[in-house]
Amino acid sequence: MNPSASATGHGSVADVQVPRAWRACAAPAAAALVSVGVVATLAVVDPNRPGHYPTCPFLWLTGMYCPGCGSLRALHDLAHLDLGGAWGMNPLLVVALPFVVGAWVLWVRRAWTGRERSRAMPASWIVTILVLVLFYWVLRNVPSLAPWLAP
Amino acid sequence: MTTPNEPTNPYGEQPKDPNDPFRAPDATPGQPAQPPAAPQYGTPQYGAPQYGAPQGSPYGQPGYPVANPASPTGYSAPPPNYLVWAILSTIFCCLPLGIASIVFAAQVNSKWNAGDFVGAQASSKKAKQFAIWAAVLGVVLGGISLAVRATSGDLS
Repeated sequence: MNPSASATGHGSVADVQVPRAWRACAAPAAAALVSVGVVATLAVVDPNRPGHYPTCPFLWLTGMYCPGCGSLRALHDLAHLDLGGAWGMNPLLVVALPFVVGAWVLWVRRAWTGRERSRAMPASWIVTILVLVLFYWVLRNVPSLAPWLAP
Repeated sequence: MTTPNEPTNPYGEQPKDPNDPFRAPDATPGQPAQPPAAPQYGTPQYGAPQYGAPQGSPYGQPGYPVANPASPTGYSAPPPNYLVWAILSTIFCCLPLGIASIVFAAQVNSKWNAGDFVGAQASSKKAKQFAIWAAVLGVVLGGISLAVRATSGDLS
């Protein structure tokens, strides 16, 4: 390559830009790879059988369900395309999963185009999510609601 | 350097214009001006406009880097609020730390939308830290619970 071209950057714009987009997508790609690996493991190694996975620490320490209890079994059911079973284990996970996937798609788009967020969503939405999670946490420990909300 | 007819200074010694921004500051009378093309590393000349000085400023102040006028605060994009990681750590790590991470995620957006860009950055950092700590503690406590139940033979 012409040394003056490499020194000034002229003529190397196309050589640089494509790897930048690919490099920026490394983090979301790694997250997707880990997620697929986790779901594949959960599909093969059944969390319904004891001894393979740790119990939820909150359940172990307090005896009460946390918002995440049953999410491993729910993912196992989803990996076997059993949406009803997953809903019975952890409805919050089933509701949240499409949003997580959507956030991942937006993450990839931001990484690929190099454009950052231009707006922040209203904080009241996040507070709503927070209140929902907290209510879910309490209500799934209410015995009369356990058939719908407890794992 | 001391020959008045060196090639970089073809006009020889010139009368010093006090408003000339490229005037060499330390040229004593009787000595030719230093050629401006010779950078003097290690000897900053505070009297002369240096790199980064605003264009068209003939006053000879030291040049401070000027913030981009398009974004006077230096912030153009809201900081990440790590909301997804907060929710994931809440669902999979089962600890109140994930809830704290969601709280800080909400703070990122409320502060950003209120114009408190520095506070939003600080809340972003806190949201990230709490999500990470929720994940770490969840894994550690989960491992402890697995080990305790394995040693006690209670794996039901």
